[in-house]
Amino acid sequence: MDKIKRIYVWEIPVRFYHWLNMFCIIVLVITGYFIGSPPAIQHGAEAYFNYWFGINRFIHFLFAYIFFFNFLLRIYWAFAGNEFSRWNNFLPLKKSQWKEVIEVLKVDILQLRTWSFESRGHNALASATYFIMFLAFLLQCLTGFGMYAAMSTSWFPRLFAWFIPLVGGDMAARHIHHILMWVFILFAIVHVYLVYYHDYVERTGEASSMISGWKFVNNKD
Amino acid sequence: MYEEIIEKGYSRRDFLRFCGMMGAFLGLEYSGVGQIVKAMETKTRIPVIWLHFQECTCCSESFIRSSHPIVADILLDKVSLDYTETLMAAAGYQAEENLHNTMEKYKGEYLLMVEGSIPVKNKAYCCIGGRTAYDILKEAVEGAKGIIAWGNCAVSGCVQGASPNPTGATPVHKLVRGKPIINVQGCPPIAEVMAGVVVYLLTFDRFPELDGLGRPKAFFSRRVHDTCYRRPNFDAGLFVETFDDENARKGYCLYKMGCRGPVTYNSCGVIRWNNGTSFPIQSGHPCIGCSEANFWDNGPFYKHLASFPGFGIETTADDIGLAVGAVTVAGIAAHAIATNIRKRKMIREGIIHPEEDND
Amino acid sequence: MAKRIVIDPVTRIEGHLRVEVEIRDGHIIDAYSSGTMVRGIEKILKGRDPRDAWAFTERVCGVCTTVHALASVRSVEDALGIVVPPNAEMIRNLMFCTQYMHDHVVHFYHLHALDWVDVVSALKADPAETSRIAMSISHWPKSSTGYFSDLQKRLTRFVESGQLGIFQNGYWGHKAYKLPPEVNLLAVAHYLEALEWQKEIVKVHTILGGKNPHPNYLVGGVPCAINIDEENALNSERLAKIGTLLKEAQTFVEQVYIPDLLAVASFYKNEWGAIGGGLENYLAYGDLPLNGIRDATMFKFPRGIIMNRNLSEVLEVDATSADEIQEFIAHSWYEYPDGNEAGKHPWEGETMFNYTGPEPPYEQLNVEGKYSWLKTPRWKGNPMEVGPLARMLVGFASGKDEFREVVTFALKKLDVPVEALFSTLGRTAARGLETKLIAGWAQEFYDQLLNNIRTGDHRTFNHEKWDPRLWPDEAKGVGLSEAPRGALAHWIRIKDSLIDNYQMVVPSTWNASPRDPKGQRSAYEASLLGTPVDDPEKPLEILRTIHSFDPCIACAVH
Ligand code: HEM
Ligand code: HEM
Ligand code: NFV
Ligand code: SF4
Ligand code: SF4
Ligand code: F3S
Ligand SMILES: [Mg+2]
Repeated sequence: MDKIKRIYVWEIPVRFYHWLNMFCIIVLVITGYFIGSPPAIQHGAEAYFNYWFGINRFIHFLFAYIFFFNFLLRIYWAFAGNEFSRWNNFLPLKKSQWKEVIEVLKVDILQLRTWSFESRGHNALASATYFIMFLAFLLQCLTGFGMYAAMSTSWFPRLFAWFIPLVGGDMAARHIHHILMWVFILFAIVHVYLVYYHDYVERTGEASSMISGWKFVNNKD
Repeated sequence: MYEEIIEKGYSRRDFLRFCGMMGAFLGLEYSGVGQIVKAMETKTRIPVIWLHFQECTCCSESFIRSSHPIVADILLDKVSLDYTETLMAAAGYQAEENLHNTMEKYKGEYLLMVEGSIPVKNKAYCCIGGRTAYDILKEAVEGAKGIIAWGNCAVSGCVQGASPNPTGATPVHKLVRGKPIINVQGCPPIAEVMAGVVVYLLTFDRFPELDGLGRPKAFFSRRVHDTCYRRPNFDAGLFVETFDDENARKGYCLYKMGCRGPVTYNSCGVIRWNNGTSFPIQSGHPCIGCSEANFWDNGPFYKHLASFPGFGIETTADDIGLAVGAVTVAGIAAHAIATNIRKRKMIREGIIHPEEDND
Repeated sequence: MAKRIVIDPVTRIEGHLRVEVEIRDGHIIDAYSSGTMVRGIEKILKGRDPRDAWAFTERVCGVCTTVHALASVRSVEDALGIVVPPNAEMIRNLMFCTQYMHDHVVHFYHLHALDWVDVVSALKADPAETSRIAMSISHWPKSSTGYFSDLQKRLTRFVESGQLGIFQNGYWGHKAYKLPPEVNLLAVAHYLEALEWQKEIVKVHTILGGKNPHPNYLVGGVPCAINIDEENALNSERLAKIGTLLKEAQTFVEQVYIPDLLAVASFYKNEWGAIGGGLENYLAYGDLPLNGIRDATMFKFPRGIIMNRNLSEVLEVDATSADEIQEFIAHSWYEYPDGNEAGKHPWEGETMFNYTGPEPPYEQLNVEGKYSWLKTPRWKGNPMEVGPLARMLVGFASGKDEFREVVTFALKKLDVPVEALFSTLGRTAARGLETKLIAGWAQEFYDQLLNNIRTGDHRTFNHEKWDPRLWPDEAKGVGLSEAPRGALAHWIRIKDSLIDNYQMVVPSTWNASPRDPKGQRSAYEASLLGTPVDDPEKPLEILRTIHSFDPCIACAVH
């Protein structure tokens, strides 16, 4: 009997979501950063020769839409997908999940143990982090589309207009929006590191799983 | 008055006789009686009470700058400004008497205009005639047909409401229930916007359409940024890099000088100030967002984003983000090194076997 | 028995002023002036960016709407050693002059005039006679019989509507009104004209500062860039508009304001040229620099102090000296850690509320204790009057020709001695006379600005110290100015690029403050002593003297 078993954890929608989401975020961070701190790339020019900042913003808004609907897709899949992609993974409601969080912390931070504890989907700590990230995505969409409502004639962004007064006006929304950009950047750095780290210490094929869908786990049967 | 008498079943002849009697009573010649008739037949100008609380009186100042209609016409022909400490002839006892007479005589009919915020930390922080602003407001609201809150003070507390708000300056809408309130934002509001609101009420005899924050849509539905004539420079990415540089002299966009146009709702770009003469951005200064609640605490003004409390004025979200990012990367590097050292050690001690990896 | 009367609200002023006086035998024997509203703007400024302070302090007052911004940027520039370019200085001077012309004209017609002018009496005037009088005192074109009779008809209609609005319940018919109906009609006509005119002159602010009220300022210069070849900057069209506005303003001042002032004064001079003198000490910081703010010898308004009405000596004032200018709180609703009697130089100043007044609603203040939100400023322990009269006297005593000229012109015209200056009327006249000077100076500044641009100097901003990283860890500065109502100064302390302490001592603080620990009265209280009050129910005389200072209590308390 094989010591290692191959299991299919990430279905296509999850993988599709993941990589498109990553791409959107990269584009949104770059274009967003430019919106916040536009570089001085020209002097002495006339406005009618140029539209780069407008285009930058356009790309931001375009990817904002993609980002949002991709996110909806993932939410749908949290109810339609397999056990690993289900919504209840993300909420540490069960005692066992909390135990697992402690275990993971022991692995990740204290480096007390280096073996896998057989979490086949996300480990409990990762799930909780992703849940927080999903909330952050939602907040980014609320502030983003909320601000966008003022400059758009479309009905869709206006669905978010109510959110702006709630946080105290456009200025506050912009601030939140801007800070979240940094939250995403920091998350991405740590996240990517941890994926490789777990791959390294657990040897489950973690990194490639988001591409192929398969993980390799100890066969206990 | 005339309508009232007719309604009660009297004829116009009765009415004229009444006026004649009044004339005789007042000792007027017959020609004077004609004037009484006219005065009673013509519609009364709408009585207005304008209260002054914690303010800089700039909203009054702005109001008198109106060019259409000019303010003399508003005061003589359109409204009856029965109480305003800034302009009224009466003072002291006589001023208070005017206030009370209007509140009694025109109960339910007068328009209440409020300039300034109301202190609540200690209500004695603003007293007029020995009474608190709070009391005076409560009393005047009772019989008001509706309320106009003038300017950022009355709408949001403005400068005295800025952190730490030493007096507990509070806007009108937080203290008043059950009366329609029009929030005319700005510090101060544009003169023609103020006059525009009054003209709206008088001409169309109804309240203007308001947005979610109670501001008249006619003047506050667009961001300064969306009607700013420098907007093409924004879209083209042409920015003033510092005051009075080449770009400033060409009139580029003031976004990088901290312009709050993108987050500020006001009609400065359309109506402009002082009969369309200019507006802050046109005269080279970024918008400081003076028509937004809490704009004083969204500073510093010359930065694109507000600074973080406790980090000093030069620190932006970006600086903090970068610093945290650097710390994270360093932490990761340390973590990675530690992991490797540990794994080597485990292999050396035979706890794990590297060849297993290849199974 | 003395009778206490209270005027609250004092109207036709800025802010919330309460005056209590003791009257005996028809004369005022004691007076108390109280500011009854506080905001704490000095507290709010702590911990903020010094470059933003102008915007906060500008909102101290919307009537003198530009001067606090000016004093504020000067205080920061003083602390950091910033020198503004010549164009910025001229533009600031132009904004200054605009402010004065607006403020003084509005004060004269809309705040002060109704103390002297009986609106209702104007209904009885003969328009033809008004026209004759108007033409005899001025070339102002709107002076025909038809013009005045139309106006009279409009006024009649208004009065007969029964809704007198802002004119309701004035002291109409009071014995103290001395003008003939014809002059009253003239004044009412100009009340309305001035109302229309004042919205024009402020456009100079709109062009240079983007809006009025509350135009924009900038530490290190002015925000409006000059570029005569660009439509988005101060170009020939914008400059021409300023030129036109300034010319029109000067015409109005010379053909309407000054003639009206002198005409009204001629009816009141004997009585009111001898009432309301008050303090005998005058203070002016000076303003309108021609060679940078650090060179006070080149100010249009000279700096100096006059003590005891002694016009033969002008003393020096040093706003940085710890024992010259101090603020006291013995009768103010504040507390100092070092006690009730102490005086504090503004660099060490504190603003800690301590309301000990009566629980509202109240009938009378406890004037033995604290009774006002104003602090009490003193120069070397002396109460000082500030304002137009102080400026004219300091200018006159400094031997400046321009001042001597206008003062002697007015004294001659009214045929009164120099002593008449020290009075309620003198104060009101000084305001008009300095407006005349200023209307002329504005032309000079305008020409100088154009000249400078012609020679190729387009600079409006000094960028050197804009970046706080270039500032010292600690710095302190003072911004001195002459506001329309008098000597204005802001003291700032900067620490780690933030405001560590900010204190303002404002003209109306000097004039309207409660008494000091020694019991010395400030200008309002002192000037009311001895004033006759004909009818305590209608204290018109009190308003006359108080209004002659042009009170601004939002300023005074801040
Ligand atoms: C990963 C997601 C996103 C990131 C990292 C991001 C980042 C940013 C940043 C840094 C800014 C500049 C803020 C400033 O400093 O002024 C910005 C502006 C903006 N973003 Fe996003 N954003 C994201 C998603 C979205 C979404 C989903 C929307 C929805 C429409 C959106 C709409 C906007 C709008 C309207 C602005 C203001 C643009 C302007 O007024 O010129 N963003 N974004
Ligand atoms: C901007 C960059 C990225 C973001 C925002 C991001 C976000 C996420 C999120 C939200 C999940 C949860 C997915 C789900 O349950 O639907 C996830 C899982 C995962 N991601 Fe990423 N990701 C990023 C980059 C990457 C990269 C570069 C890799 C691979 C080299 C990667 C590998 C993985 C893997 C393997 C998982 C599953 C891990 C587990 O369950 O613990 N991610 N990521
Ligand atoms: N007092 C005073 Fe002001 C003036 N002039 C300021 O400095 O009025 Ni509001
Ligand atoms: S809103 Fe601004 S302008 Fe109006 S009274 Fe308040 S501080 Fe003054
Ligand atoms: S100057 Fe301000 S309002 Fe105008 S386009 Fe630029 S950012 Fe927008
Ligand atoms: S500062 Fe205020 S005046 Fe208009 S341009 Fe901005 S809202
Ligand atoms: Mg002070």
